[in-house]
Amino acid sequence: MLAIETKDLTKRYKDKTAVNGINLKINQGELFALLGTNGAGKTTTIKMLSTLIIPTDGQIKINGSDIEKDRQKIKKILNVSPQETAIAPNLSVKENLEFMAGVYQIRNKKEKTDELIKSFNLDQVLNQKAKTLSGGWQRKVSIAISLINEPEILFLDEPTLGLDVIARKELWSVIEKLKGKVTIILTTHYMEEAEHLSDRIGIMAKGNLIATGTSRELIEKTGAENFEDAFVKIATGGEL
Amino acid sequence: MRTLNFAKRNFKEISRDPLSLIFAVILPLFLLFIFQQFDIPNESYKLENFTPGIVIFGFSFITMFTAMLISKDRTTSLLIRLGVSPMRPMEYILGYMLSIVPVILVQNILFFILAIILGLEFSINIIFSIGLSVVIAILFIAAGIIIGSISSEKASSGISSILVQLVCFTSGMYFPREILGKFFGTLCEYLPFESCLAILKGVMNNNTESIEMRNIIIFLIYTVVLLAVSVIVFKRKMVSDNN
Repeated sequence: MLAIETKDLTKRYKDKTAVNGINLKINQGELFALLGTNGAGKTTTIKMLSTLIIPTDGQIKINGSDIEKDRQKIKKILNVSPQETAIAPNLSVKENLEFMAGVYQIRNKKEKTDELIKSFNLDQVLNQKAKTLSGGWQRKVSIAISLINEPEILFLDEPTLGLDVIARKELWSVIEKLKGKVTIILTTHYMEEAEHLSDRIGIMAKGNLIATGTSRELIEKTGAENFEDAFVKIATGGEL
Repeated sequence: MRTLNFAKRNFKEISRDPLSLIFAVILPLFLLFIFQQFDIPNESYKLENFTPGIVIFGFSFITMFTAMLISKDRTTSLLIRLGVSPMRPMEYILGYMLSIVPVILVQNILFFILAIILGLEFSINIIFSIGLSVVIAILFIAAGIIIGSISSEKASSGISSILVQLVCFTSGMYFPREILGKFFGTLCEYLPFESCLAILKGVMNNNTESIEMRNIIIFLIYTVVLLAVSVIVFKRKMVSDNN
């Protein structure tokens, strides 16, 4: 079954088309990476898919439900870890988890927060204020928070941006554990991240979805030596 | 329930910022204390007039905290996370408002305790004026929501400090309108701060005859308009911030 299906999805601003009629099909449990250069339309696409902004044209179906008609119902089954770390700075890690559990009105609040604390190894920073955590820990907490409502669909917008290699590898292992259980849409600028984590990759350029496939398929399609070269060829239309 | 959960979080954010406590509580308390140590031959500085003035002055910092909290939430992307959640815009607005109520109560109780220690006579009207001050504070919270929705974290404190100055100069807490000259005198009349002070002073001193109809109308118009504008601006900014 399809977790996400878009038909001619478009977002236009006054004199700019940010997303230009994209058609996307993402299966349940799939990890789909959305790549593109800056300004390609990835974040706008994610914002439309996650109910944050309303498309100018086109249709989005989440688990078969129309995002326009069933907005509130859909909001309950998805979550997002935004590009910037979105946590309450003066609240401790535990309080952040409890706060978001309250936002989603989670019934078994304690059970759920304990489960996340355990699976993300948050014990050591549990009572620390979020603003005092390192970048790596903040991202980890941000992803943990986004799982509080046991989302069926999770949007990770550049989850490892600016992290050192150790923190990045730690987050990869967290994301890998979620694979298959949750449908994940991930945006990233790191080619090795997309190649390592994703089942399929979509490449966007100037608001258009110009290629989709596994990393191997995209390498074969372009005749490139590696995935990074394949991406450059696709994103620049073979100019580089 | 979501509103209360959000209000609880907002209250924690505010109360854990030491600057908030210094500006909202300690500075007005200090001013109340210090001005009573001088023998200033002016009615404005008598405890029964100056205490409600300090309450209104303290509210101008409520505007500042509300503005800073909202602009910070916008900067840290917390509102993106919440925007994806099932929370509705009215739940945010009420959550921001409710979180300020305990701060207002703490402020007022401490101001009045000090005023009583300094010689203000206790009466049941003090309790009434604490209740009334929560209603008056809606105007200041709404102003904070507007400032926080349209400005950055840094700019919001700057813009709010203009309001702090306006309260000082146009509420009548320090000087009566008559000595301010024609321009500022007229400004006092049309801005809501003098009216807020007149209403609070009238109730606190059991002198409701001193409250003019003009004071009530100006206060109500500003409160209703600012509240409506704050809801519209906040809703719009939540959408445009994400565009």
